[in-house]
Amino acid sequence: MQLDPILVEIYSTVFDAAPYVIAAYACLWLGLMVYIGFGVNRVSKLEKQIAVLEDSLARREGAA
Amino acid sequence: MAGPESKKGWLGLSENTWTYGALALGTVLTLADFLAAFLIAPLVLGAGVSQTAIINGIAVSNKLLFSQKIFYFHVPVAISSFLIVFVAGYYSIRFLASREKIYDTKARIGVEVALVFTVLTMITGDLWTRFEWGAWWVWEPRLTTYFIMTLLIIAYFVLRNSIEDEERRAVYAAVWGILIPIDAAISFLITRLIPSSVHPVVLRSGGGLLPTQLIPFLIGLFGMMMIAWVVFRLRMREEIAKERIDVLKSSIEG
Repeated sequence: MQLDPILVEIYSTVFDAAPYVIAAYACLWLGLMVYIGFGVNRVSKLEKQIAVLEDSLARREGAA
Repeated sequence: MAGPESKKGWLGLSENTWTYGALALGTVLTLADFLAAFLIAPLVLGAGVSQTAIINGIAVSNKLLFSQKIFYFHVPVAISSFLIVFVAGYYSIRFLASREKIYDTKARIGVEVALVFTVLTMITGDLWTRFEWGAWWVWEPRLTTYFIMTLLIIAYFVLRNSIEDEERRAVYAAVWGILIPIDAAISFLITRLIPSSVHPVVLRSGGGLLPTQLIPFLIGLFGMMMIAWVVFRLRMREEIAKERIDVLKSSIEG
């Protein structure tokens, strides 16, 4: 089935741009989420390290 | 010492609850914005065509522009970048008034987060101009002033890295941190003073956006602002945690 040539002209930018616009939008959003994910991971590791150090210090002060 | 999972904050909720709750909400809202932009928001009109066609009962005699959909990501990210820059400027002023290190840290992290959002704004903006006008860059007022703001943000870190003395570094950085929001304000307002076809004023009373455009935009804007706040909070917690680790290690070794 052939599309009406006027509709082809009206949607000409949509056919060309759609895959790239959707991909760009999705990649940038995912990139931002990955960046935040790394941040959450770093904070989590640091806070676990703090817990271990505080426990170690408390045991040392308890022993002293 | 109570960690963020147990330390009670506003409304009795812990720091973790606020941060990760805001992250979840921001993620859901920006995802909803993404879906609404492509499934609900109508296509905008471009150049005229030779004849009129009837699409969904509406007479259309212009090309329909798909690249405009980037608007629903680009503008929320750009507005968030302006807000973070103002937050950094606020903490810069607080530092100069009090000389307390915490405000220098907050200002630095604010500028750091602003850099992330500024880069995202520049990328999405460049993609939009490339898709729509075939050019990667045009020297129009907002783009130029925003580019200047990007350079000022980069220069902030160059300045910090070039000064060894901690106090002097913080003072000079704070002064620079006040310049950045001045350019941000100029960049935001300039299209209201010098009209531009690339950056028309859409956020105004009496028109600009249809409800089917405005609602996805506002959802995306609110979601992106939440994400910006979460990124800032996470970086602050990282800095505070690193300082705490240094103190604990000194206590253990001492």
